[in-house]
Amino acid sequence: MQYIQATIYLMLTSCFMMTSVQAHDPSEHVKTNEAPKCESMKAMDHSKMDANDPIMMAMMKKCKAQAQKEAMQMDHSNMEMDHSNMEMDHSNMEMDHSNMDHSSMEGMSKSAAGGHHKHN
Amino acid sequence: MKAIKILFLLAIAVISGSSVIIFSGVVDVAADKPHGKFVYWLLQETRENSIAKASENIIVPDLSDFELLLTGGVDYEFMCAGCHLAPGLKQSDMSLGLYPAPTNLSLTYEKQVKQGENNEAAQARNFWIIKHGVKASGMPAWGKTHDDQRIWAMVAFLDRLPTLTPEQYQILTAID
Repeated sequence: MQYIQATIYLMLTSCFMMTSVQAHDPSEHVKTNEAPKCESMKAMDHSKMDANDPIMMAMMKKCKAQAQKEAMQMDHSNMEMDHSNMEMDHSNMEMDHSNMDHSSMEGMSKSAAGGHHKHN
Repeated sequence: MKAIKILFLLAIAVISGSSVIIFSGVVDVAADKPHGKFVYWLLQETRENSIAKASENIIVPDLSDFELLLTGGVDYEFMCAGCHLAPGLKQSDMSLGLYPAPTNLSLTYEKQVKQGENNEAAQARNFWIIKHGVKASGMPAWGKTHDDQRIWAMVAFLDRLPTLTPEQYQILTAID
């Protein structure tokens, strides 16, 4: 009888030990780098914040640096721009020819050289 | 002559008694078995008075620069928070397992500072502890690997730690 009781105690103790080993998986102790969660600043009560408080100044500096870093890391590879449907209306564009040198141009009358032209 | 004889016998008794305690292995050094009240008081008073004396001549620099919070915060997170906890963290494996239990530095400052100790004395005390560590307590001497400037930055961060929310703490201590 005593032998059975001892076996039960031993088994229960083993179960507890196994549970504690599982609860402390080594991966739980690994510290990983984590970016500052600056979005939480938006939820803070800004009326109670003092811009000259060192904590506030430190947080602002950190979040500013983080925002710049994120902007630099923005992925442009997936950005597409479709130029096929882009049109440009030249009808209202004016061109100033007054400073053009027509001396090397053949077949162009001088009267046409200085005026404003409208392109269609 | 009689007094010398008594003193001699007393010395023999003390040495014999100490030898029995040291070599017999009767003292339980397990960290999960707390000291008795007297031994705890004896060790705590010895430690606190030693630190107070050692740190009394330390000159505290200006710690108002907010940049100190950034370097001190990151160092605190990676070197100290595992034992001394952080805002919103009630316990960790280290804080539960170490004996004596590490001070929870995220609690209000009044609870950390010894009664009657002013802020500058507390800052000097924190600097000395971080730099030199404390024997047989689990507190390492960070001065072996960190210069004074970095340690002062941690002291500056400790000053503000009890006032931080978990969100503020995350922003100040995070490193990407």
